[in-house]
Amino acid sequence: MNNHWMRRQRLLGYVFVGPSMIGVLLFFLIPAIYSFALMFTNYKFMNPKAGFVGFDNIARLLRDPLFYLSLKNTVIFLLAVPVSIALGFVVAVILNRRLYLKRLLRGLYFMPYITSGVAVAFVWMLLFHPKQGPINGFLRSVGIAHPPGWLSTTTSSMYAIDIIWVWFLLGYNMIIYLAALQEVSPELLEAAKIDGAKGWQTLRKIIWPLVSPTTFLLLVTGLIMTIKTFGIIQAITQGGPGNSTTILSLYVYQNAFRYYDMGYAATISWALFAIILVITLLQWLGQKKWVHY
Amino acid sequence: MEIHRRLSRDVPKRLAATIVMLALAIVMVIPFLWMISTSLKTPAEVFEYPIRWFPAHPTWAHHLKVWTGPKSFGTYYLNSLKISIIGMVGATFLSAFAAYGFARIAFKGRNALFLIYLSMMMVPPQVLFVPKFILFEWAGIYNTHLALILPGLFTIFGVFMLRQFFLTIPHEISESAFIDGAGHFRIFFRLVLPLAKPALATLAIIDFSWQWNDYENALVFLIDERLYTVPLGLQNFILENTVDYNGMMAAASAGILPMIAVFAIGQRYIIQGLTNSAVKG
Repeated sequence: MNNHWMRRQRLLGYVFVGPSMIGVLLFFLIPAIYSFALMFTNYKFMNPKAGFVGFDNIARLLRDPLFYLSLKNTVIFLLAVPVSIALGFVVAVILNRRLYLKRLLRGLYFMPYITSGVAVAFVWMLLFHPKQGPINGFLRSVGIAHPPGWLSTTTSSMYAIDIIWVWFLLGYNMIIYLAALQEVSPELLEAAKIDGAKGWQTLRKIIWPLVSPTTFLLLVTGLIMTIKTFGIIQAITQGGPGNSTTILSLYVYQNAFRYYDMGYAATISWALFAIILVITLLQWLGQKKWVHY
Repeated sequence: MEIHRRLSRDVPKRLAATIVMLALAIVMVIPFLWMISTSLKTPAEVFEYPIRWFPAHPTWAHHLKVWTGPKSFGTYYLNSLKISIIGMVGATFLSAFAAYGFARIAFKGRNALFLIYLSMMMVPPQVLFVPKFILFEWAGIYNTHLALILPGLFTIFGVFMLRQFFLTIPHEISESAFIDGAGHFRIFFRLVLPLAKPALATLAIIDFSWQWNDYENALVFLIDERLYTVPLGLQNFILENTVDYNGMMAAASAGILPMIAVFAIGQRYIIQGLTNSAVKG
C-alpha cells in the first residue's frame, strides 16, 4: 500500500458523494437560495414586470391578519404532537408488559402511520360528517344532543384535524417508545420493586425520566414534521371553513399556487423556516438542560 | 413450583390487559374497517346508525366504478408504481453510495459537505416549492413525471440513515480488505452492500411508502389528469363524485390497500428502520 494509492482512494470520496451532492445542489441548495432571493421581489407567475421590492414582502407579512391567523392555527395543529406523545407513551408502557398478541397489537396501533396520506383523510371527512357521520351518530346515541360540527364549523375544525393527526402520529411515538423501554434495565425496576415502589411511582420516578431523551426527540421531530405538513388539510378542507384550518404551510401553498403570488409565498415560507430554526436551536440548547439521563 | 404459581396467577391479568388493548387497537383501525364496509354497501346504508358493519346487500359495483371507465384507477396505479419504484431504487442506491463516502472515506471537505446536508434537513419543502416550480418550468419538466422522479432520487434522510448503519461496521473489515489490495469500490460492492441488506430493505420500503403517499409534490407539479398519481386521482374522484360516498370509500380503499399490504410484508424492516434512526441517530 503506497501513499499515492491511498491518496487516490481518498479522492474516491468525491465519486461516492458526488451523485447525491448534485441532487442536493439542484433540488435543495439552489432552490433554497433562489427562494431566499424571491423574498425580496414581487415575482408573480407569468408576470414579466417583477422587480426588486426590498423588504416590502416582510412588511406586508407583519401587517397581514391572515398570517397571524395561520400562525395561531399552526399552534393549534402542533398541540397534536404532545398529546400523541403522551398517548403513545401510555400504549407503549402497557404493550411492554406481558401481553398476548403483542405483534398484532403493535401492528394495529402502527397502521395509521404507515397508511398516511390523503386517502385516510377522506375517510375521516366522512366519519366527521356533522349530520349523518358515524362519530356524531355515536355521540347522539350516548345522549349528546348537539355534538360538535367537527370539520364544518370554524371553531371546531382545527381540533378535528388535531384528532386525525393524533391518530396518525400515535403509532410512531409508540414504536419509538417501545424501543426505548427495551433499554430500561430490568434490574433497576426489580430494585425499585424491592424498595416498595408502586407501579405508577416506578413509572413516574424511574421510567419517565429514563426515556426523557426519547420524549425530547419525539417532540422535536414531531413538531418539525407537523409544521411542514399541509397535504391532509388541503385535501379535506382547503383551509376552510373561512380560513379556520389555514395553517402556515398551507398558506404558503395557497399564495404560490392559487394566487401565483410567489414572492410573498417565498416570504411566508421563510417564516416557516424561522420557526423550524428556533425549534432546532431549542433542541441544541435544551438537550443538556431538560433531558435527565 | 413458585414460578409456576406466579405464572398461572398472571394469566387472568395478562388476558384482561390484552383484551383492553385489543379493544383500543380496534378503535384505532375503525376508520379502515368503516371504509371497507362502506365501499361494499348500497347508498342507503352508508350513514345508518347503529353502523351496519356487514352490509345487508354487499355489492362490488363501487369498486368496479373506480377501476373501470375512462378515469380508471389503473392509470393512476401505473403512474404511481412507475414513480415510486424508480424513486425507491434510485434513492436507495444513491443514498448508499453517498452514505459510504460520508461514513468510510476521510476525504477533504467531508464535514463541510455533511453540514450542508444537515442544514438542508431543516429547510421545509414549502421553501423549495416555488423555485422548483420555476426551475422545472424553465427546464421543461413541469407537468411531467420527471418533476417527481428526479427529485425523488435524492433523500437526505436516506443518506443519514445508511451512514449511521455504515458507521457501525467495524473498520477492521475494510482495513484487511485494503491490505489485500481492494479499493473502496470493491469494498463497497463486495463487503458493505451485502452486510447492509437489511438496512437497504428498510430504506427501500420507507421510501416507497413516502413516494406512494406523496400528495403535495404531485399537487404542485402535475396538472395533466393522465399523469395523476393515486393520491391525485383519488382527490379528483372525490371532487367529481361529491355525494357518492360508497364510491369515495372504494376509491380510498384502492389508495390504502397497497400500503397495508406493503406494511404487512415489511413490518419488521419498517419498525426496525424507524427505531434505529430515531433512537440511535
